Amino acid sequence: MRIDAYISEYARKTPQNIALEEGTNSISYSCLDTDINAIASHLTDFNHCRFAILAESSMRYIKMLMAVYRSANIAIPLPIEFPRFSLEKLLDTAHINNILTTDTQYSRFGEGFFERFGTVIVLSRDTSVNILRKNIETERNNPELRLVLYTSGTTGTPKGVMLSDRNLVSNAESIIKVLRLTSSDKGALVISPHHAFGNSIINSHLASGGSVCVGNMNFIASVFNLIESDVSIFYGVPSTYRILLKYPDRFKRSFAKVRTAASAGGGMDKAIVKEMKELVPGLEILPMYGQTEATARLAYLPAEDVDEFVDTIGKAIPGVTLDVFDSDCNPAEINTTGELVAAGDNIMLGYLDDEIATEKKIINGWLHTGDLAQKLPNGYIRLLGRKDDLIKIGDHRVNPREIERNIEENTEVSKVFVVPVPHELMGTAISLLVIPSEGTEIENLFSFCRKNLPGYLCPREILFIDHLPLSENGKISNRSIIEEYKHVKANMQKVCS
Amino acid sequence: MEQIKDDIVDYLKANSFMDNNSVLGDNDSLTQNGIIDSIGLLELMDYICEKYSIDIPEDMLTPENFDTLEGIANMIIKLSK
Repeated sequence: MRIDAYISEYARKTPQNIALEEGTNSISYSCLDTDINAIASHLTDFNHCRFAILAESSMRYIKMLMAVYRSANIAIPLPIEFPRFSLEKLLDTAHINNILTTDTQYSRFGEGFFERFGTVIVLSRDTSVNILRKNIETERNNPELRLVLYTSGTTGTPKGVMLSDRNLVSNAESIIKVLRLTSSDKGALVISPHHAFGNSIINSHLASGGSVCVGNMNFIASVFNLIESDVSIFYGVPSTYRILLKYPDRFKRSFAKVRTAASAGGGMDKAIVKEMKELVPGLEILPMYGQTEATARLAYLPAEDVDEFVDTIGKAIPGVTLDVFDSDCNPAEINTTGELVAAGDNIMLGYLDDEIATEKKIINGWLHTGDLAQKLPNGYIRLLGRKDDLIKIGDHRVNPREIERNIEENTEVSKVFVVPVPHELMGTAISLLVIPSEGTEIENLFSFCRKNLPGYLCPREILFIDHLPLSENGKISNRSIIEEYKHVKANMQKVCS
Repeated sequence: MEQIKDDIVDYLKANSFMDNNSVLGDNDSLTQNGIIDSIGLLELMDYICEKYSIDIPEDMLTPENFDTLEGIANMIIKLSK
């Protein structure tokens, strides 16, 4: 079964039911199915080919995605929040000959950006299709490949996660069970649909015959208005909730009729949960955990345990097996730290064009998440940081070493070190420690970051240092960098006082 | 009115949201043109509140009031009265 087949099924069974909403527009299952077919009809002469999708979060994006599925091709949504420079870098390695885009993005990126593609298809606001050029090439792809999702946040070389129909359907079905989704549910999609979390919202609501209300997080009043349009399930990363909680009165009013507030993308802290519960006592809070490599979701914390176990990821979703392995890949004892591993039909096929990385990530059928974890006596799992150096910034998983390299290679500096620092709304933001070279200008560094990194990675401050932030045993790690940062800040305070 | 628009453009340039030599029309969308994202908008909002000593009620945080120079300038004038 393919995800788009659910839409056809509901187009037959409940043709008048609303499938998607965006602002004052909405579309029924029957009309959505017709629109998908109309776009797909231009793609059927391609035989399992890669199609990049460059589109803002919108109903149009969902139509394009489903049309690629329906024509049995491969969808590769481009993470549109990435600056042009990063998108171009990503495209240089991804071997994509075809692109579907909106007229909005076509005029924003300009003709030159699209020169690399043999096929360019532009969808206008009224869903009319404009084929700028078409060049069908034979491609060899993994026969099961349907969707490539880029892991969010990385800036150097983002990894493309290859997902199959089976991956998408099994994870959607698991999520439907966990959230008890039915055809009367309406989900709010205000986070990026181009990544795993957003994508899972589309799949699970359309596979249960309900509807998805599409928006974004740009304008707070619009977000609250969207929630008040009878949304039954709201989805956000922790920073989404932090931003909305800045307006407690409106939060209270907007969430009064919402059944469930689900989260993923980062751990919900006690303070957010407490504030939400106080404002809206009847609201079910459901933290979830997952990875792009697992299509989206791996675990959830049952709502009744949120107060006591919010510092855990809870238990596996239906259809998934979780365990904690020691360094010999044997199951670890309870309360013993090891690596969280997962198995199930939602585990990815592998990384796009990267067999070596795939072999390191999936060993004997187990996805090695890279998250350090312990099993608790009640079966729940607690996370204890990362095995590697990856950090969460604004609820995006990023590799600080890649950010550092990116800045070092493109600006006048000797060395750059990324420091995670607390941020009121994002949870964690970054600052930079920089060893300057001749010609280093703080303004130029800021300017480079602003233009070439997504907003959540723009540094809060840039501090100069004159030596490497080494640990006592002479190594550089996140920990030694944080130590150095604290040291620099403490000295600055002394100077000021 | 024009002064406010100039201030906002200066802020956007000083903080590298846009290049010094680029031009922004009064009704060009900040978000659709990729000049600013949701995190950047929060920064811009903080700047405006401080610079003009105003509080922006959350129901005014709409695209009409925040996505263009014209909208932002109108909103600031309304709230400064």
